[in-house]
Amino acid sequence: MSASEFDLLRTVTLGQYLPTGSALHRADPRVKIASGILLVVAVTATSSLAGLTLAFALVIAGFAVARIPIAYALSGIKPMLPFLALLGIFQAIAIPQNDANTTVYWRWAFITLTARDAVAVALLFAKFSVLVWGISLLSFTTSTTALTHGTEHLLRPLQRIGLPAHEFALMVNIALRFVPLLAQETERLMKAQASRGADFGAGRRLNFVQRFRKLLPLLIPLILATLQRAEDLILAMEARCYTGGKGRTHLVRFRAQASDYAILALVLIVLAATVAAGFTSADATVWRIVSTVWR
Amino acid sequence: MSTEAVVQSTPARKVVIAGVMGALAIFLGWTHLGFIPWVAGAALTIMHVPVIIGAVLEGPIVGTAIGLIFGLFSLLQATLAPTGPVDVWFQNPVISVLPRLFIGVVAWLGYKALRKVNEPLALAVAGILGTLTNTVLVLGTIGLFGHLPWAALPPIAIANGLPEAVLAAILTVAVVVAWKRIETGARKSRM
Repeated sequence: MSASEFDLLRTVTLGQYLPTGSALHRADPRVKIASGILLVVAVTATSSLAGLTLAFALVIAGFAVARIPIAYALSGIKPMLPFLALLGIFQAIAIPQNDANTTVYWRWAFITLTARDAVAVALLFAKFSVLVWGISLLSFTTSTTALTHGTEHLLRPLQRIGLPAHEFALMVNIALRFVPLLAQETERLMKAQASRGADFGAGRRLNFVQRFRKLLPLLIPLILATLQRAEDLILAMEARCYTGGKGRTHLVRFRAQASDYAILALVLIVLAATVAAGFTSADATVWRIVSTVWR
Repeated sequence: MSTEAVVQSTPARKVVIAGVMGALAIFLGWTHLGFIPWVAGAALTIMHVPVIIGAVLEGPIVGTAIGLIFGLFSLLQATLAPTGPVDVWFQNPVISVLPRLFIGVVAWLGYKALRKVNEPLALAVAGILGTLTNTVLVLGTIGLFGHLPWAALPPIAIANGLPEAVLAAILTVAVVVAWKRIETGARKSRM
């Protein structure tokens, strides 16, 4: 049993906050969240490589402004690469993209690799990278507190029709805050149980009853200890007269600056181009220019 | 002393229990502690158990809220850190989020109906009904989108859903009985 077995959250870069104090860190969280949502929608909606390249350039520019090394974001994507490769192969083989107009690169048995397959795989990779890096950028530059306040402000119109925006934002914030605490608690419990002779190593694969029985002495105390912490938090909040979102004012008030509007405008323009590129023959044009320059 | 007689549900209690149980669902999914390997690469999951526990402790609204966190997290995980081809289906919020909203409501209804008869039994039923809601609705939406043929679904529902229901029932009973200090006649729970 190695020490790393107890270390539960070390390998995750997603969801981290890197305070470098850049202009992007100081930008209005509402603008950053809205940009993140727009990015997800645009990347999902487009089917143009040229458009995705534009979105990618936007994200990379964001990393440069935020003064976060690209290599750091790259390390977060590394563990997913084998699976992505598998997905790419699956996409190329299982979904036939054959039609008369495409170049066949390679043919073996029932497998044919065509130019269209190559484009489909490239699209898959590009979409995935832009999504992961875009959302990483949001979390690297925005603290959880700013994220929750921003979400709450963005959801505020929903409060008019009776949806509990404040409670939702607070709940998400508590959930995000508790995950590292749970990791700590679990590490403590695993060590405690291991010192009493428990073995959390892999058992026989099919014997799920055995696996589950090994998990019980970990899960039950974990959930009970979590509920105990929740009671403490409830007591603390009630001692400070928390009564929910109605009529609540905020310590933090957001006032969008000119720079925030500029960021939003830039994001809107680039992402509109990303989506629009899917409806035009932008890819074919870019491809023609590239291949002419190549020759 | 029975905690239940003293404790009243306040806004703070509802928000905190929902957040904390949501954290537990996220944690179980993130660390893969909530997955137990099962036949043919499939895994049994107990990620939905926090939803059931939250619903039993604080009612259907809290249950739905935890279900929402669970669903949003599984949508995010499928999009940002996919681990298998099945995750691609879960990038659709109708499959990953919508079914999870009903786990808490159904579990709470089952618990409420049987609570007066026998509380541990009601907890077990809540665990089973909550799990089956998850299994049936997720597989149902997968079928609706045509990712799998309808004929393939019942065997999966039985092979995955039934053991998951049993695990969820055991966990729900064990945790809530210990938490509320319900007398079961068995030995006292030790924490």
